[in-house]
Amino acid sequence: MNMTIRERELDGVVILDLAGRITIGEGTVVLRKRIQQLIEHDQTKLLLNLAEVDYIDSSGLGEIVRSYTTVRNAEGDLKLLSLTRRVRDLMQITKLLTVFDVFERESDALKSFR
Amino acid sequence: MDALAEVRKLVERASRAFRLNEELSHWIELSVNECAINAIQHGNQLDESKEVLLRISSDGDTIEVIVEDQGEGFELADVPNPTDVENLLKPGGRGILIIQSFMDTVEVTGRPEGGSRLRMVKKIQNGKQSDRR
Repeated sequence: MNMTIRERELDGVVILDLAGRITIGEGTVVLRKRIQQLIEHDQTKLLLNLAEVDYIDSSGLGEIVRSYTTVRNAEGDLKLLSLTRRVRDLMQITKLLTVFDVFERESDALKSFR
Repeated sequence: MDALAEVRKLVERASRAFRLNEELSHWIELSVNECAINAIQHGNQLDESKEVLLRISSDGDTIEVIVEDQGEGFELADVPNPTDVENLLKPGGRGILIIQSFMDTVEVTGRPEGGSRLRMVKKIQNGKQSDRR
């Protein structure tokens, strides 16, 4: 399944529920555009929920990194929620777990933005 | 990329033919995709007139993947380490590391006719990984 994005807002944080495969091509482009739109509307507290992401490649990881730096440059923050085992393994291998704040529970993630 | 859809189909066919379990299939597909993307983007520089050759085979104990491009060639040792501090926040450069982390053997040689030949091998035991990933 190609990547889909659903959005929610809680406590001033925009939660992007990603699902499917985050790979080079349409998925990464859609994510990039949406992040840019949110920043343009001053919505810079972002939480990516990856619970339903069953496949990510290096381009997908790169897009998440790009999103992170873009949001941070806009003086916001981007954090991650509910990594699947495979995504966590990849982020471990690539040392990206040292970059991102990662949470298992949404309530903890939301508290961290306060 | 339409090419990656074809890659996925090939990996699925190979997984069925070699009776690979879902976990192994996932990581094989990821490794093959990373190679194919590198061959298309970096090897062939997105030149649609150039080809990428992909071959997947198995002798029952190993899976071997060969990816060839028609580019200028490269050395694995010259690929920057994406886990170095100065590279961590770069959007690219992680493909080779991912492949090397999963596959048991990764080697790159030049093709006599030009371009690179990347060969990678994963040991398997009756469709199960020899080590858990």
